[in-house]
Amino acid sequence: MKNKQPPDPIREKKSLKISRRHFSQAGGAFTLAFLLGDRNINLTPAQAKTQKIPLQLLNPHQAALIDLLGDSIAPGAKAAGLSHYIDHQLSSTAPDNLLILKYLRVNPPFEGFYSSALMAFDKAINQRFAKNPAELTSDQMAEFITIMMTENPEGWSSAPPAPFFYFVLRSDAIDVTYGTMAAFDSLDIPYMAHIEPDHEWADRS
Amino acid sequence: MRNHAEKVDIVIVGSGAAGSLIAAEMSEAGKKVLILEAGPERGLNDLTSSQMDARRLKWSGVPVVEKGPQPIGNVFNSGYGTGGSALHHFGVWPRLHVEDFKVRSQHGRALDWPITYGELRPYYDKIQQEVGISGDAASEIWRPEGADYPLPPVPVFQQGDIIAAGFNKLGKSIAPLPLALNSRDYKGRPACLWDGWCDAGCPTKALANPLAHYLPKAKEQGGKIIHNATVTSILTNNNGNKATGVKYHAKDGTEITQLADLVVLAAFAIQNPRLLLASGEDGLANHSGLVGSYIMSHAAATVFGLFEPETEPYMGATGGQLLNQDSYDHKNKRKLGFGSYQWMIAQAVKPNDLLGYGGSNPALFGAKLTEFMQHAAQHFGGMTACVEDLPERSNRVTLSSERDKYGVPLATVNHSSHADSYALWQGAKEEGIEIFKAAEATTTWNGPLGPMHIMGGTIMGEDGEKSVTNSYGKCHDIDNLFIAGPGLFPTSGGVNPTFTVHALALRSAQYMVRNWSSLT
Repeated sequence: MKNKQPPDPIREKKSLKISRRHFSQAGGAFTLAFLLGDRNINLTPAQAKTQKIPLQLLNPHQAALIDLLGDSIAPGAKAAGLSHYIDHQLSSTAPDNLLILKYLRVNPPFEGFYSSALMAFDKAINQRFAKNPAELTSDQMAEFITIMMTENPEGWSSAPPAPFFYFVLRSDAIDVTYGTMAAFDSLDIPYMAHIEPDHEWADRS
Repeated sequence: MRNHAEKVDIVIVGSGAAGSLIAAEMSEAGKKVLILEAGPERGLNDLTSSQMDARRLKWSGVPVVEKGPQPIGNVFNSGYGTGGSALHHFGVWPRLHVEDFKVRSQHGRALDWPITYGELRPYYDKIQQEVGISGDAASEIWRPEGADYPLPPVPVFQQGDIIAAGFNKLGKSIAPLPLALNSRDYKGRPACLWDGWCDAGCPTKALANPLAHYLPKAKEQGGKIIHNATVTSILTNNNGNKATGVKYHAKDGTEITQLADLVVLAAFAIQNPRLLLASGEDGLANHSGLVGSYIMSHAAATVFGLFEPETEPYMGATGGQLLNQDSYDHKNKRKLGFGSYQWMIAQAVKPNDLLGYGGSNPALFGAKLTEFMQHAAQHFGGMTACVEDLPERSNRVTLSSERDKYGVPLATVNHSSHADSYALWQGAKEEGIEIFKAAEATTTWNGPLGPMHIMGGTIMGEDGEKSVTNSYGKCHDIDNLFIAGPGLFPTSGGVNPTFTVHALALRSAQYMVRNWSSLT
């Protein structure tokens, strides 16, 4: 029986061939309910960023650091609304939280994880380059990321290990950049949803 | 505020695979059944096709403190809400092998099960006929004796064909992966669309999760379920030798005493021992001192590659398309380590999430990540070995000094892979790379050790001094207190546990029905 080929009945894939864009043509977007004044409106994180929806927990500096590092790791993450996505999730209750951090043996609340890591990131960049993170060249940022993915850069303290934070923020950035129906479409991957993610961009107040 | 609820015949803690099956069987037998589920109610319409939304299905209850060099990954591997972890399981349903039940007898190490494969086989056969498994028994040259699958095998897509060529070139065997997913319409449930959204929960009922079969069956027979019901202790009589019910907190915080003639703990491998340990001075049903011990978690050995031809990596089931168990039997014959493992080949993959291809190579960032994400979308391939974890007494659930809002200590779980299990994982990784190279992958790489499934902690056995329950899950110390689920496993084998969980639960339920008078 060695080297036995799968039997014919399982070679029926031809009938299941799917036109790649077929399933995502009518697709919506990954939206979240953002608080605007006293109303909740459903927006994609990218729309929330464009519309400058106020952040709930992150301060503007923290949001800027998240976007800067996230976009350096996964280009497109800033425009996809990474900082608004993380801010939104940090203010969610544990059962509704979608952050990948919940898989990684960190118990909620998660705000301290991000705030301490961002502070360490800011400090370590300053120590290494005598610059603010936003002033780094792309080569300098790449140099720093290469270090932080394997060890704590000099000056990184009072925070989760840098490689762990890199992994988490990288995963967050991939989530918002590549985890949506629109992103699948751009990758030419059929989304094939049974039930689409919340796709109405509607005022639900 | 405290309340006493109306007494029931049987109260089941947890609505996952084991709890829902026992509820269905006992309801059918005419018993008044109540399931208490700690998480929220979920229906099929809540199962949104998104890897981010999928995270809502994972454990969000009381935090678990994880320790040791190979933590068990409680959140990812557990469930929360209707259907428990089985709601997001991938439906890979191979059987344990004959040797898995007698590791100590045959090899002088690890533990024996108190039953043989032959004793469990009829229950495997009955379950697969009831819920449907797609596969080709004849192609599974490693499979122990059993009835043929009721459904033809699942389709193989490009990724499967490409990786299969590597196995063939090296003289290794492959077979269709046995999946509890319908390859055809079956008993009113539709065929799968091969869209790879299993982790987000299958709303079509093509995958045999609890919402597809056993929970509806339980409800049809009068079984009840209460959600957001957090059980805090198991109640006993004054002598401590008979369970009288459980105490739980409802969603509004009200403490409720639920009396029952028989109590089943089906709250998975971590919360079951936590509840037992927290329910008595030295733990309930803990005469052996083994409640919490022998926690196991399969080590996932992942192999990834990029291939020149297009692979359609988004097509198929999340669990995979093909199976190889060449390294399963004769646990002492591995190149490295000791034990069994199987390959689950050509898993459907999404761009994001822990199991997504974007996370497979964390070293990539910037423009290289962008390039990879675009190329891999059509050219990625992957497979995972489910690697046996030998039972170690020191791998255990204990009570933490931290407590939840109801004053119950949290569970602390220590887990460190046995040296031979770790070596087995190393060997599987190496073999995987060899296979991918033979399949002409242009690039190959491995992922880190990932914990997959949680087993043990309330192991079954013949000897009350060396185990917590008998082979039916009945606690040695308390006749009307049962444990159900993978926590009963004395050894992990190297296959996915859910089919075996079902078979054991069915055997337990039939035992309860047969012996109801003497048990209660």
